[in-house]
Amino acid sequence: MADWDEIAEALVDYTKNCNTNERLRKMQRDWSRVLHFACSDSDVTFTMNVDHGEIISTAMGHAGAPDIVVTTTSETFCDMFWGDLNPVQKYLRGEIKVKGSQEDVMRLDAISFVIWPDA
Amino acid sequence: MTPKEWLTEFLPAPDVAGKEQALKDFANYVNPQKVRVMRAAGLDIIETQRSGPWVWDADGRKFLDCFTSAGSFNVGRRHPRIIAAAKQALDTLDHGNFLLCSRQKADLAHRLATLAPGDLSCTMFGTGGGEAIDFAIKLARGATQRPTIISTINGYHGHTGFALSAAGRTSFRAPFEPLMPEFVQVPFGDIEALNAAISENTAAVLLEPIQGEGGIIVPPPEYLGQVRSACDRVGALLILDEIQTGLGRTGKWWASEHYDVTPDIMTTAKSLGGSVAPISATLFTEELREFLIPNPFIHLSTFGGSDLACAVALEVLNVIEETDLVSHAAHMGRALFSGLDELAVKYPDVIQEVRGKGLMAGVQYTDDSMGPRMSYHLSQHGVLAIYSGNQPSVMRLMPSLVVEESEIDLLLSALDGAIVDLQEGRGPSEDAKATRRRPVRTAASSS
Repeated sequence: MADWDEIAEALVDYTKNCNTNERLRKMQRDWSRVLHFACSDSDVTFTMNVDHGEIISTAMGHAGAPDIVVTTTSETFCDMFWGDLNPVQKYLRGEIKVKGSQEDVMRLDAISFVIWPDA
Repeated sequence: MTPKEWLTEFLPAPDVAGKEQALKDFANYVNPQKVRVMRAAGLDIIETQRSGPWVWDADGRKFLDCFTSAGSFNVGRRHPRIIAAAKQALDTLDHGNFLLCSRQKADLAHRLATLAPGDLSCTMFGTGGGEAIDFAIKLARGATQRPTIISTINGYHGHTGFALSAAGRTSFRAPFEPLMPEFVQVPFGDIEALNAAISENTAAVLLEPIQGEGGIIVPPPEYLGQVRSACDRVGALLILDEIQTGLGRTGKWWASEHYDVTPDIMTTAKSLGGSVAPISATLFTEELREFLIPNPFIHLSTFGGSDLACAVALEVLNVIEETDLVSHAAHMGRALFSGLDELAVKYPDVIQEVRGKGLMAGVQYTDDSMGPRMSYHLSQHGVLAIYSGNQPSVMRLMPSLVVEESEIDLLLSALDGAIVDLQEGRGPSEDAKATRRRPVRTAASSS
């Protein structure tokens, strides 16, 4: 089980990868969302704010009204944010649960695809 | 001849390398993310042989096609009579000059007039459903000289200009706004909402008799009649989109027959082309045709109602009628719904509701993620089925109308097995990563 520090470290890397990727920023420029994340194996929750494709904040706890809620294990979150797994495969195995529109689920996967095309 | 006597079992030689190359080329030259998503979902199928209700993947796997390109293969895939008609047409015809009058267009329009509900005796041809809806809306506005079009939330009518403006899914519209003005959406099945929205500015109310992409939503029995009355009260037209529901899909020629309602304008497409020709038709009354008398060239389509496609479509209508496919669909639909109801009782944690008519069935799962997951699991059991785009918790089951009881049994058995797989948390095998980016934590670093 990963603790918040480990998840936060993964988030820092993920945020850097997203925000410095010009192709991704252009692709996602019409996408502004509040994402809530919840670990299924601990009490850790966190929030990500995306504004026109830029991740402008990540913080522990839930804040704001979410457009998307993602639930999985802390380990899966870490692997996902480090690009070490294909989130669609985990989603189809029922190991990642997403509440939100299908378009937003596709957007999340597209981020992984652009950053880590081989994931 | 029974609906499927003509079927022959054909197993193309598996070509895994060819399939991979096709997927690679598709990714490179069409869309890589589409390939990634379809691959992950177990739907990376490269169709080779297609026959009746069946389709084969290039890797040799055989699938019962319950997606049928959203209901485009009512007569089955590559029906021999349709193929023969197409070949015969190719021997003598081509698209034809769209500005000229044509024997084939006239024959098909005449035939459609005899099959259509009420007095919808006139036709404008197109190449696809969106074009048919575009013309329906243009005709409604032109004939009534009113601006407003009322459609329904979660309704689906295609991706062209007017049709997209009527789409009931915000995500389809939003990137392209501003779209056409004076389009209003109301909840489907809610007559009070429609009564509040409709006025003497309303040119037409546009809806599907049963929402397809919206999740196989069957309205209350009295709804369509109430919509008809509301339209009549203010002088608005009723446009019924029968593109998925028509041509026998629901166990009647047109779904509007279930409700004893006649529209002013009706669209049909998809299965009209018999799986081999793109064609759509917008049917309307002689009264509405008055608008086209001084404007005979107001709406043109180079390939709409091409002579080739009309010849094919005419044979499609012959096949549906002469093989009694409409009654057959109703009969098979009863078998399908009987089995689905049993599955709903057996798996209440997975199936929330079963709904639909004829061979247009929707399985409402208890969770949004179950639609995509069940698409994957069904593919592993030899069934091609894709969840509803506007409602991912709903699986659409729309097999060809030529299915027989043995195939309905196979579908039900596949659903049973897929639900067990879902409950046991099975899924696509995870790709092994050669290298991991995530740092390895030691006890010291994590303390």
